[in-house]
Amino acid sequence: MDAVTILDLELPRGSFHLGPLTLAVARGSRTAIVGPSGSGKTTLLRCLAGFERPTRGTIHIGEHTVVDARTCLPPDRRGVGFVFQDGALWPHLSALQHLTFAAPGLGKDAARALLARGGLGHLADRKPDTISGGEAQRLGLLRALAANPRVLLLDEPLRSVDVHRRDELVLLIRSLVDERGLTMVLVTHDRDEALALADDLVVMHDGKLVERGPALTLLQQPRTAFAAAFLGAAACLPTTDRGTAIETPLGTFRRPNGTTGDLLLCVMPGDATATAATADLPAGKVLACTPAAGAFSLRVAFAGQIVQATAAAPHHAGAMVSVALQATPRLLPWSNPSVPSA
Amino acid sequence: MTFARRLADLLHRLPVVLALLFLALFALLPLGVLAWQTIAGPDGLTLQAWRELPADEHLLTRMFASLRLGLAATVISLLLGGGHTWLCLGRELPGARLLLPLGVAPLVLPPIFVAMGFADLGDMSGFWPCAWLLGICHAPFVAVQAARGLRAIDGRAYEAAWLLRGRVRAELWLLRAILPELLAGCLLAFLFTVADHGVPEFLTVKGKTWHTYAEGIFARWNRRAVGTTFADLQSPIVAALPFIGALGLLLWAALRLRGKAPDRGVARPLPIRPLGVWRWPALLLPLGYLAAGVGVPLYVLACWTAGSAQKAEPMSLRFVQRSFAKAIDQCLPDLLHSLWLAIGVALVVLLLAVPLARTAARRRPGLELLCALPAAVPAILLGIGLVRAFFDAAPLRALGGDFYAGWGFAVCGYGARFLPFAALTLAAQVRRQPVAAEEAAALVQRSATARALRIHLPPLLPAMWSAAVLVFVLALRELDLAVVLPAANATAVRRLANAVHFQHEDYSGVIALLLLLAAVLVPLIPSLLAGRRLRSLS
Repeated sequence: MDAVTILDLELPRGSFHLGPLTLAVARGSRTAIVGPSGSGKTTLLRCLAGFERPTRGTIHIGEHTVVDARTCLPPDRRGVGFVFQDGALWPHLSALQHLTFAAPGLGKDAARALLARGGLGHLADRKPDTISGGEAQRLGLLRALAANPRVLLLDEPLRSVDVHRRDELVLLIRSLVDERGLTMVLVTHDRDEALALADDLVVMHDGKLVERGPALTLLQQPRTAFAAAFLGAAACLPTTDRGTAIETPLGTFRRPNGTTGDLLLCVMPGDATATAATADLPAGKVLACTPAAGAFSLRVAFAGQIVQATAAAPHHAGAMVSVALQATPRLLPWSNPSVPSA
Repeated sequence: MTFARRLADLLHRLPVVLALLFLALFALLPLGVLAWQTIAGPDGLTLQAWRELPADEHLLTRMFASLRLGLAATVISLLLGGGHTWLCLGRELPGARLLLPLGVAPLVLPPIFVAMGFADLGDMSGFWPCAWLLGICHAPFVAVQAARGLRAIDGRAYEAAWLLRGRVRAELWLLRAILPELLAGCLLAFLFTVADHGVPEFLTVKGKTWHTYAEGIFARWNRRAVGTTFADLQSPIVAALPFIGALGLLLWAALRLRGKAPDRGVARPLPIRPLGVWRWPALLLPLGYLAAGVGVPLYVLACWTAGSAQKAEPMSLRFVQRSFAKAIDQCLPDLLHSLWLAIGVALVVLLLAVPLARTAARRRPGLELLCALPAAVPAILLGIGLVRAFFDAAPLRALGGDFYAGWGFAVCGYGARFLPFAALTLAAQVRRQPVAAEEAAALVQRSATARALRIHLPPLLPAMWSAAVLVFVLALRELDLAVVLPAANATAVRRLANAVHFQHEDYSGVIALLLLLAAVLVPLIPSLLAGRRLRSLS
């Protein structure tokens, strides 16, 4: 059985409409819901936790129905832990009191042991305003885990953490989740955060699921232009439909089998090369040039987009360069309305 | 949902239900009864009193006088209170750190004390002296709100404005940024001024030739026993109701304005802003304000105690001893009544305000206006409404005659009057708490009571303390309700007003000084015992 199952979930919010969404998260998996700000990912997470009540749909956590037409279990009866964006610690309680309050059955010794496991053993009697941002986030994590939840929900847990402390927190989250065999659902708009913590990705846009799959697959072979742009920083160039062929600013290609409708040419970093401008190749203007692993990475204004291309030699900002596609062209639809749920 | 869960939910909601019931019984019902009685004539329903309103010249003149007085006093409050904070917060004014919290000090003195003090020094019979007195008394509202606004400004935003547009423009930007708070403070000053019955009535004894509508209400109430026509009897209430409606609308606007002002998380406080050559001259405003609001009344009261008002013998220490002995002998029970009443009111208001504030701040924003509504009602009218509602409305009458004559009725009446201030203070504090911290508590498998006691309440404690002190001080100095509610007749402020009328300045001075001592000492006791740093109300 899946750890979390969402069926036809909907929640309108003024001009924004979340859903309808259907999603299943396998037991013991680590899933990241990613998308730009305003895509509805945090609202979805809050629906899972019980802070928001969807107007339609059902949510099952484990074998329990937590939301349906008649039921909406309060947060404390769902068996989930929640790690908030900025810790959301209780300012008047010490670290130890955080854990003992969060888990009524947890004795002081067990709480101290848990703090020590999270590397906060020496801060047991300290209050949130006397600890660092990274330590506060660790405490938030330990608080969420103290009551032994079945599912751990995380809302951008690395956002307020110092860059140098991120790796430590990532390792701690992964090891604690693995030790306890927890199912983890994370939301973030940061691709690196998602890749560091999750194995599966779900891409959201404008309240809908756009694409989902294993992180590596989605990163290397996205099936939608939106996922390619969001996860792979791809430039999506406009195309013209010529029947069986698709005309793009970088050449004309055969329409991929099984595709219909409008397609975009997605140029991911490394897909294109740049050379000094020549008459026979389409050209663009260099916006920036940075050295990268024996070559140079250029940002080129091209066909109304910014394409990231590799160059053997440096080019000054403002110079004209020719852009050529080196990889197999990725002709993808912007979005995919029918996303498989698992 | 299981029965236990339903029961737990019900118990969880009980405090807010009880608080709403209190509000309905002791604030809305009296107003409703008053409104109903303006159309319920002896021969059935009639709009006679309402129809005659535009023709009642006296009434309209009083309303206009009230409005003029309110506006003039508010401008004075803005200049004194706002100016005090403007000069003392984040400025290089000498002694600014000490002067800033003192800005709230005039609030401790009942307006009648200030009036007594100035009336002893000179002629206070005109319009402007009255406006001046009430403006000084209510300036702390503007001072506190301005301080709150300035403290919420991110210093970096001010520095950015300074860099881009120069110092004068940056100061103007700062003024604009705290406009919602300034307006809220001005509104409070206006409300308290137009609702004040004690000071204009006191000045009447000194030869005042014009009257406010709060005086009109009380005059008609007093003449009730003599008997006049139905329309005459109702006319002040008829005039007051639309005014209360207008004030309610103003309150609503102020709350909306306050709500729209972003709760600016302060990353860095305002930098110390230099005053240049004005550094020393600027000191005159805060010193003048404090001298007028606190110094003069205290000086006069001290002189009275020493016998300044007695022509027969000069001031002396022996006279002081005699005055104290006389005051203790004649007024100690009244002083103790005042003290217990104020403590009781502060406790009741706190118990009611916390659930109301939480509900208003988190779930039902409209509730805030409902809580604030009693603030728009002059205390004298609320008192009359309470008395009438007790005799004419079954829900209050059911509480019994002993309740009416006892302290319970007085505590509830005072509670209804001061609930808005505590509820609004606490609602603002609840809003400042991050919602996420409460959501984190909602995930914990604990009872709602445990969550409330361990998570929700502790961050509110400083604001609860501020609200309790505010209500305690306001209750201690309340005169208008004390005039109308039976048990509150036996309070020190009421005794003092009578004593001054009958030329007993010697022990009046002592009562006033003892009241002030209580107003200052009682709030300080817990701080002194706990050894914590004293925090100003602002």
